[in-house]
Amino acid sequence: MQTMKLVSSDSECMARLAAGDGNALRELYQRHGRALLRFSSAMCRSRQAAEDMVHDTFVALMREPVSFNPAQGTVFGYLCGVLRHRVSRHFRQQKRWVALDMDSDSSPVHASDSQSPADEIARSEITAALRRAMLELPLQHREIIALCDLEELPYTTVAGILDCPVGTVRSRLHRARALLTIRLASLELIDLESEPPIAYRGLS
Amino acid sequence: MKTLDPHPHLAQLLKQYARDLAQSAPSSDLDARIDHLVADHPQMSVPAPLRRRRGAVFYAAAAGFAALAIGAGIFIGMRLEDVRAGVAAAQGGAHDTLWPPADLTMWPTDSVSFKIPAEYSAKGTLVAVDPDSKHGSTRYWIDVVVSNDGTFRIEQVVPADPSQKNGGHDGVAPKVP
Repeated sequence: MQTMKLVSSDSECMARLAAGDGNALRELYQRHGRALLRFSSAMCRSRQAAEDMVHDTFVALMREPVSFNPAQGTVFGYLCGVLRHRVSRHFRQQKRWVALDMDSDSSPVHASDSQSPADEIARSEITAALRRAMLELPLQHREIIALCDLEELPYTTVAGILDCPVGTVRSRLHRARALLTIRLASLELIDLESEPPIAYRGLS
Repeated sequence: MKTLDPHPHLAQLLKQYARDLAQSAPSSDLDARIDHLVADHPQMSVPAPLRRRRGAVFYAAAAGFAALAIGAGIFIGMRLEDVRAGVAAAQGGAHDTLWPPADLTMWPTDSVSFKIPAEYSAKGTLVAVDPDSKHGSTRYWIDVVVSNDGTFRIEQVVPADPSQKNGGHDGVAPKVP
């Protein structure tokens, strides 16, 4: 019921935005901005680039609010799709340039109150390594882990965002997890000897 | 196809990474940029039909300009062709008109008029007679014009006045051979 109310509210915001109400854009940003930033941060190398992608997404939304079709999915799914295309274009453009520092601002680490400073440092190093491993994945594998494992979106929603069948989402996620596991095992962050799932036997 | 759960260690790492990401909030700079977007919304969000209309106007103007340029090119080409044809005709005419046309003579035409006395003969034709001779029948003056271009024409035939010696004619009366 709560979800239905949110969806309806999002659609109303889109209708108001299409009618020229700028405050509807602010409402949509307050509602979905954080989630979009999480997705963008998982995809981009720097925090600045991630925020630029989110900003560009809302610029595109403001310029073309009528391109949203409620019959094709939710507003959040639509925004994720726009953001995904922006990120993809960003990386295509970045191929023309050579990064001076690949690891700049690579870890959005925040301290937890319940842990000691030593634990926080160790955890931040592990998280940074995981983040680097994710950024080494191909874009389609990175985005599926970000959407399914980090955002924990349903497969049907992810399929709508990626514009592909659910079966493709499943197989792509399976492959992405395997690649990430192998990469993390090579960094000795995962011990494949201890209770390896059946799916990962024989990959290494 | 059933998607298997990830490796337990990977799942644990991903959950931790998701928690870290969840704690990240948009910066004040991004908030300010979004606020700026909202403030600029009336200027930036031009309705799509209007934008399409602008595009249509642009293409219509470009097509009109192209049509105008083509028309001007055709007109200028036609004018150039006409001028060239006129010049060619003038040059060709200068070569063709070496001789004057048939109705013109090289020299100014000069002519002289003769008055020839004539009477009707027994055959019913006018024949020249001596102007000093006495005439029994009606005498006529035949005005003849001879030009230096070789033409010869009868100007008029008038009855002579019998009260005058020369028939009342004041013209030249050449001798009849």
